[in-house]
Amino acid sequence: MMNNNMNSPEQISTNKLEYDVLVIGGGIAGQEASLNLANNGFKVLMVEKDLSIGGKMIHLSKVFPTLDCSACIATPKISETARNPNITIMTYSEVEDIKRNGNGLKAMVIEKPRYVKADLCTGCPICEEKCPVVVEDEYNYGLTGRKAAFIPFDLASPRIAAIDIENCTLCGACERACPPNAIDFSMEKKEFELSVKSVIIATGFELFPAEKKKEYGFGQFKNVIHSMQMDRLLAPTRPFNNVLRPSDGRMPDNIAYVLCTGSRDLSVGNPICSQICCMYSIKQAQLLLGALPMTDVTIYYIDIRAFGKGFDEFYEQGKSMGVEFIKGKIAKIEEKENGNLTLKYEDFENGGKTVEADHDLVVLSVGILPNKDVSGFFKSEPIALDIHQYVKQEDELMSPAKTSIEGVFVAGTSSGPMDIPDSILSAGAASAEAAAFIRSLK
Amino acid sequence: MKEKIGVYICHCGGNISDYVDVEKVRDVVEKEEGVVLSKTTMFACADSAQKEIVNDIKENNLDAIVVASCSPKLHLSTFRNVAERAGLNPYNYVQANIREQCSWAHTDKPKEATEKAIRIVRACVGRVRYSEALEPFTIPAANIALIIGAGVAGMRSAISLADMGTHVYLIEKSHFIGGRVAQMGELFSTDEKGEEIISDLYDEIKKRDKIQLFTGAEVVSVSGSVGDYKAQINIRPRYIVPDCDMNKLKEAIAECKTEIPDEFNFGLTQKKVIYKAYENCRPEIPAIEKDRFNPDQKFLEKYKDCIDLEQKTETLNVNTGTVILSTGFDPYEPEDGEYGYKKAENVITLQQLKRLIELSNGKLEYNNREIKNIVYVYCVGSRQKEGENKYCSRYCCTAAIHAALLCRKKFDSVRGFHLYRDIRTYGKHELLFDEVSRQGDIFFRFNEDESPVVETANGKLQVKFRDILTNNEEVAIEPDLVVLVTGMIPRKDSSTVAGILKTPVGSDKFFNEVHPKLRPVETVIDGMYICGTCQGPKNITESITSSLSAAAKSNSLINKGEIELEPTIIRIDPEACEWCDKCAEICPFDSITKTEYSPDGQKGKTIALVNESTCKGCGMCAPVCPTDAIDIIGYTNNEIESMIDGLIKEV
Ligand SMILES: Cc1cc2nc3c(=O)[nH]c(=O)nc-3n(C[C@H](O)[C@H](O)[C@H](O)COP(=O)(O)OP(=O)(O)OC[C@H]3O[C@@H](n4cnc5c(N)ncnc54)[C@H](O)[C@@H]3O)c2cc1C
Ligand SMILES: Cc1cc2nc3c(=O)[nH]c(=O)nc-3n(C[C@H](O)[C@H](O)[C@H](O)COP(=O)(O)OP(=O)(O)OC[C@H]3O[C@@H](n4cnc5c(N)ncnc54)[C@H](O)[C@@H]3O)c2cc1C
Ligand code: SF4
Ligand code: SF4
Ligand code: SF4
Ligand code: SF4
Repeated sequence: MMNNNMNSPEQISTNKLEYDVLVIGGGIAGQEASLNLANNGFKVLMVEKDLSIGGKMIHLSKVFPTLDCSACIATPKISETARNPNITIMTYSEVEDIKRNGNGLKAMVIEKPRYVKADLCTGCPICEEKCPVVVEDEYNYGLTGRKAAFIPFDLASPRIAAIDIENCTLCGACERACPPNAIDFSMEKKEFELSVKSVIIATGFELFPAEKKKEYGFGQFKNVIHSMQMDRLLAPTRPFNNVLRPSDGRMPDNIAYVLCTGSRDLSVGNPICSQICCMYSIKQAQLLLGALPMTDVTIYYIDIRAFGKGFDEFYEQGKSMGVEFIKGKIAKIEEKENGNLTLKYEDFENGGKTVEADHDLVVLSVGILPNKDVSGFFKSEPIALDIHQYVKQEDELMSPAKTSIEGVFVAGTSSGPMDIPDSILSAGAASAEAAAFIRSLK
Repeated sequence: MKEKIGVYICHCGGNISDYVDVEKVRDVVEKEEGVVLSKTTMFACADSAQKEIVNDIKENNLDAIVVASCSPKLHLSTFRNVAERAGLNPYNYVQANIREQCSWAHTDKPKEATEKAIRIVRACVGRVRYSEALEPFTIPAANIALIIGAGVAGMRSAISLADMGTHVYLIEKSHFIGGRVAQMGELFSTDEKGEEIISDLYDEIKKRDKIQLFTGAEVVSVSGSVGDYKAQINIRPRYIVPDCDMNKLKEAIAECKTEIPDEFNFGLTQKKVIYKAYENCRPEIPAIEKDRFNPDQKFLEKYKDCIDLEQKTETLNVNTGTVILSTGFDPYEPEDGEYGYKKAENVITLQQLKRLIELSNGKLEYNNREIKNIVYVYCVGSRQKEGENKYCSRYCCTAAIHAALLCRKKFDSVRGFHLYRDIRTYGKHELLFDEVSRQGDIFFRFNEDESPVVETANGKLQVKFRDILTNNEEVAIEPDLVVLVTGMIPRKDSSTVAGILKTPVGSDKFFNEVHPKLRPVETVIDGMYICGTCQGPKNITESITSSLSAAAKSNSLINKGEIELEPTIIRIDPEACEWCDKCAEICPFDSITKTEYSPDGQKGKTIALVNESTCKGCGMCAPVCPTDAIDIIGYTNNEIESMIDGLIKEV
């Protein structure tokens, strides 16, 4: 168990935990909700499934519409969350079986073994250097590799190592090399019984798996990548020094964006709009024009949904910088011998004719899907989901954070597509509702 | 003077080190007087780097630190906390901003950026050398919030705050609460009725002792500062005798003949001068538009138990810890002739259509004509190329499509033709767009440079436009009604409120937040928040989300009964001060008054006195003082002089 105070990791001897609020998920929504509650004097337990808190935002490049560096505005929040005396964080942990317990709620929390002792590891990364196993790095969305003994990413919190036991060959190289003897292959999962008064679900979203849209050739054609990969290529923590084509490491000079990949598309079972992909594509296009001044960027769209404060202005700025916008639905992408790609699309502005265009790099602006973990939290008293499998907002207009279970609230993209500003606001709403709810119990 | 200074120079990934030679900065700074340790680091804010700094401070007994990284706006408190965790006073930490001020500002001149970084870091070392250990001080804060505007956002915020234990004054300018939502009939996305939502909220408010609601009320002045604002509120009379006989009042209304345009129905109908906003409005007591009311003496005499034109405006003074602004929006009112508005017959706005739907029964009629075909023109008053409103109004695509669906549901065979630029039914609202398309409404896309023309030709309403989706073909439709899908604009009177509260507005003239991501409901004034549509266009869910968020922020600021303030304000040297009043004159926060100073009971002298809770430490006063009696804590003369030495020293 990682305690918030990194200087004196408090070893929890009993397996019973008691807090005011359980926040599930340590993305931007979970952090904001936890901080509001902690600053209100409530004791918060944040349970994060991943090895580090931070969610998607910590991996983004710059964020629309202000073009702040994402990591730069995310890290102060992460740091504040990690150090707040009223917040305890359990990473690499999961929640099971939340059920009613008198006035409050009970749950099981399972801490998975990371095979590295959190209180000893200094993050030196000698284990990483020694480990002979190389696998795909999920934090760079497969663009690079990482070791089986690894520190998740530079800005991880906590920034300590973990062993990916699935891929580990148990060669013991890391164990022998670790200066403070932090590696321990005998670690087992730990179970905790948790009582809380209220729960906030902030488990975020899943990316639409680009390979599901077969016509676009993701996974098959090297120079078709998805937007999260592009955000990584553009981030200050980027894996390479520049934006390069995967097939030959050349700088692309004619990039296409395919909007609505996996959204507004019944053929993949997702009829709704993902709300963020128009904007992040325009953002990436602007960043690309800055990083590769000689490059052309074309965005193929159905409607440009630039609806938030400052968004339409951002869209206009993109146009004036020279980003080309074509209203057209991409039907199919084909690969040419030199790795370039031919896009076949229905050209709406010219009577819907099918037209072809060549590009040397294609970015699929993938949409977002609900995180299906949520139903697993509630086995005894199932939580209501909407028809798209997002957490259902029981009183959408007047209490948007309320769910079907009393005392359980929802924040951020767990209830539907949202950008960062909306996620932060919705987390504020969830924390206000949780605080009022707890007060009503007294 | 600090003699064991640690300096950390951050790469910020590549944000800094791509342009600034951080190793060189380190090499130079290392030689500065008092610097005993200097390091570069990939991400100073990362968990591991923070740990390292804590260890360094402890192991080397550092007495001050400097981190050269990004703007202190982002990480000042991060590194102050690092210092504190290592047992160092947080004010013995100084942040040098070599990102926004060097690497990002001079991407084309890496050499000069590096030189500038060296100077800035040296200056910060100079400052930290003379830094003093300081303690923040606390001021009492009233756990009270004043909420201005009782639309859905203000009411929901009030309920939430009361439930978190805050006392609330909720004031509404109109005589009736609810704002715009009551006017909009059936609402997306739940098909609830606006009026019912408002009545429910009103009932919830009435249940809570902690909320005091005033209607007909307006703030006329606000003074003081966070935790202790003083607001003066004027309450206009309704001219109705409290607790009068309602039946008799009804008689009076029936007898009264004076009618004026009913703005609740956006001028579609007339109302009596003794009126209710709508039949089931809250409070249920009518009010009188006195300026338009000229009854004869007989009438007044007859109804003197109900009507009292002598009632006067009352003044209420309240103390409050925070202020929440939820004053809402105005629907855009097209100019005469804009898309035929008020020129061609049967051209109305979306808000008028919503009223028309409510007022119609079985048949949709306007100007005695049954409506079968409606043309909707989108983005009216929004996304203007020429005009002032550059922004998208966010709610209107969905609201127009929802209204089109309502027309189809409530009235027989009403068809919609939608002339749009982009359909922005984002998120789950997309289902409404799918639905209306499925039901047979038709969508045409026009180019912003070639707007549709709406006119009456040969006695017939006609809309002409070029449809991008069919090769720019010219299309003409002769509908029964044209609905202009109007956007949201800042309220006409919001500049008055902005003037009283001194809350800034953005380029779109809506109230502005400090930072859309980090502090979306906070203004630059401590303890003042904004929520709902006064901050920018929003639908109801989004308005409520922000209003609950503002409630959470307000509550966490004041619920402890005290607020911690920065100690970095000014200090007046009583010996040197001669009370010339120059400082009081220049202070933008009115923080200086005078006091008597008599150190040993002898006849004293008048000197300046600083109000610690309002002084921002901005430093305006220090340079005007002729006797140099003012020092800014954290920027004392020693510190500033040492900074200047650091800046001008040759690199
Ligand atoms: C390519 C791309 C670019 C983007 N660019 C921008 C931009 O420029 N500007 C902008 O405003 N928005 C942008 N966004 C949107 C932004 O990423 C989201 O709005 C934001 O991340 C939502 O935050 P969240 O906390 O709701 O979810 P997440 O970031 O998904 O966080 C959820 C957290 O919960 C954890 N979790 C998941 N399941 C469990 C479980 N079972 N138990 C415990 N924990 C769990 C996850 O590990 C994660 O830490 C972009 C999105 C993408 C895909
Ligand atoms: C035509 C139309 C249709 C719509 N349909 C829908 C829909 O179907 N679904 C949906 O979700 N949203 C809809 N909306 C949006 C919805 O109306 C807004 O989201 C909502 O009204 C915002 O609430 P608010 O409290 O911010 O502002 P408002 O409703 O404007 O309320 C603000 C309140 O503050 C008061 N006030 C203003 N200034 C002062 C002052 N100085 N002192 C005291 N009080 C003051 C006002 O009198 C008013 O009562 C629609 C909007 C329009 C124009
Ligand atoms: S586990 Fe050991 S070797 Fe690996 S990072 Fe931690 S301290 Fe270093
Ligand atoms: S936000 Fe834009 S790209 Fe994303 S689904 Fe909606 S319309 Fe398509
Ligand atoms: S929401 Fe639609 S109608 Fe309204 S301004 Fe935006 S694009 Fe135009
Ligand atoms: S420092 Fe600024 S706010 Fe403080 S007294 Fe001087 S002028 Fe006023």
